Amino acid sequence: MSLGTFVQLIIQGINMGLIYALAALAVSLIWNASGLFNFSQGDLLTLGGYFMLTFTVVALKLPYWVGFALAIVVMGTMGFFLSRSYFYPMINQKLNPQLILIGTVALSVVIRNAILNIWGPSAQRFDNPFGSKPILIGDAIIMPYQIVNIVIVIILVVLLQLFLRKTVMGIAMRAVAQKPVVSSLMGIKVEQLVSYTFLLSTCLASIAGVLTGPILPLIPEMGSLLSIKAFAAVLIGGLGSFSGALVGGLIVGISEVLFSTFITSTYKDVFIFLMMMIILQIRPGGIFRIEISEKV
Amino acid sequence: MNKALKILKDNFIYLAFIVVGLLPVFGLPNYQFYIVERGMQNALVVLSLVILLGFTGQLSLGHAGLVAVGAYFYAITVKNYGFSPWISLILAPVVTGLVGMLLAIPSFKLRGPFLVVNTIAFGEIVRILILNAVDFTGGPFGLKGIKPLFSGVYLYYFMLVVVLIFAIVTLRINKSHIGLAFKAIRDDEVAAEIIGVDVKKYKLLSFVISSIFAGVSGVFFANLTGYLNPDSFTFEISSTYLLMVVMGGMTSTTGGFLSALLVTALPEVLRFLADYRMVIYGLILLIYIRFYKVLDIKKIFSKLNFKKGSEVVE
Repeated sequence: MSLGTFVQLIIQGINMGLIYALAALAVSLIWNASGLFNFSQGDLLTLGGYFMLTFTVVALKLPYWVGFALAIVVMGTMGFFLSRSYFYPMINQKLNPQLILIGTVALSVVIRNAILNIWGPSAQRFDNPFGSKPILIGDAIIMPYQIVNIVIVIILVVLLQLFLRKTVMGIAMRAVAQKPVVSSLMGIKVEQLVSYTFLLSTCLASIAGVLTGPILPLIPEMGSLLSIKAFAAVLIGGLGSFSGALVGGLIVGISEVLFSTFITSTYKDVFIFLMMMIILQIRPGGIFRIEISEKV
Repeated sequence: MNKALKILKDNFIYLAFIVVGLLPVFGLPNYQFYIVERGMQNALVVLSLVILLGFTGQLSLGHAGLVAVGAYFYAITVKNYGFSPWISLILAPVVTGLVGMLLAIPSFKLRGPFLVVNTIAFGEIVRILILNAVDFTGGPFGLKGIKPLFSGVYLYYFMLVVVLIFAIVTLRINKSHIGLAFKAIRDDEVAAEIIGVDVKKYKLLSFVISSIFAGVSGVFFANLTGYLNPDSFTFEISSTYLLMVVMGGMTSTTGGFLSALLVTALPEVLRFLADYRMVIYGLILLIYIRFYKVLDIKKIFSKLNFKKGSEVVE
């Protein structure tokens, strides 16, 4: 095992990890805004990928970036209206958290089967414009899309941080995450904010869905396993923490690739889940533990 | 008259069982009958979740994994090692109970989404292990030709009796001191500990009882289908179980039994929609949960005064 191959594996792991991290981030954002753990995040991600497929390959044949932007817009709008018509009313009714959770599971059943009916069960791909000519750095073989994906996610994370720290809405989102009641007393419209958080999270889902394109072929069931690993990532990192989601995603992605290369790829998922269970036993709140409000 | 009505209401669960027991007499077509049988088998898992989720407040999305353990243990011991089906019927729940102990460990420290994702991971681990242990389980090809306990309608009545016994057990647990301890944990863990409930012990007990129920259900699953495949024990199946419990009102034994039959039959009833049936099925659930408060099944149930536990704390 040379250094070059190792670097190649790490980059591969980072690529996979960033997908998990984006999904984890979306779950975290919604959890902060509304205390809802969105089990349909993986299927929203798949849906984003399929929209991209429709826009660039099947129907409209748009250029890559235009299709990308359109997918984000469509998914964002969908997230907004989903929140208005479905998620917020459930939260507002003070429904049992377990019921809300099952509500998100029901949504994932609908999305997955709708995808199956509309796009069919077979695996599909859309092209990326970055070429398939590998770049050789030493003896590390790196695909162009891997670098583009990493750059896109870095830009996205910087933009998100700026949004959360510098804009009024971002600050309001963080305020709601810390003290929901007080922030509503300070004049923050919680319903609106929850809707915008959902919009943001479905946007993230569609970006992750598009970025998954070159790594995994699109199949309707893709969301299931992706989301379970994204959940592992968000819990390892710490639910509700921004950096936690990123670090958790990278840990899951990199250890997955390393485990399947050096030990066995058959049990890589088992390894990830066991790792999550052990980490949670040692640190029940995840690595970046957000202050968990517990009664004395 | 009123008194007679009250007796009827109190014993509604027995009435439900008698009606279901009379079904073979009316002679249902084979496939519909099979769906009823599957509904009974699911009812056992629902009872197991009533104890775990309804009484103790621990949400599990890994119950398909427990059912798989029961089903595969039965199938492997009977088929590969020539055990008598009856011995396997007794042993399978014991083994599932032991596995359930493992599932209980995370619940000591974790709650909410943390616990749920742990149970999902448990279910996935079981599925992946089954998928890859080809020598024992047949892997993706599955296990064929599993010897059943009984054949035909006798199996149905045996299941009916077992489900009835387990339903009565659930009702008894609900009223016993164990049930009270479970509910204390559900409503407020810290307060429960202060008044002297051994939280760890009762959580473990709840998981073990729940796993035993799921294990028996797994044995019946193997009996009914005669064929096991890892695809029957996915995360989706676990969420369907959860859904049945919620539709049944979470703490209600009768409600759980009826909703298990209903939800199992729903995709079949919707079969005329062909490819779109799963979408419509999902949409029905979506609408049901969205308007849960408006429809308020529980209020209707409490008006009818069915036998059930205390109200779920919202």
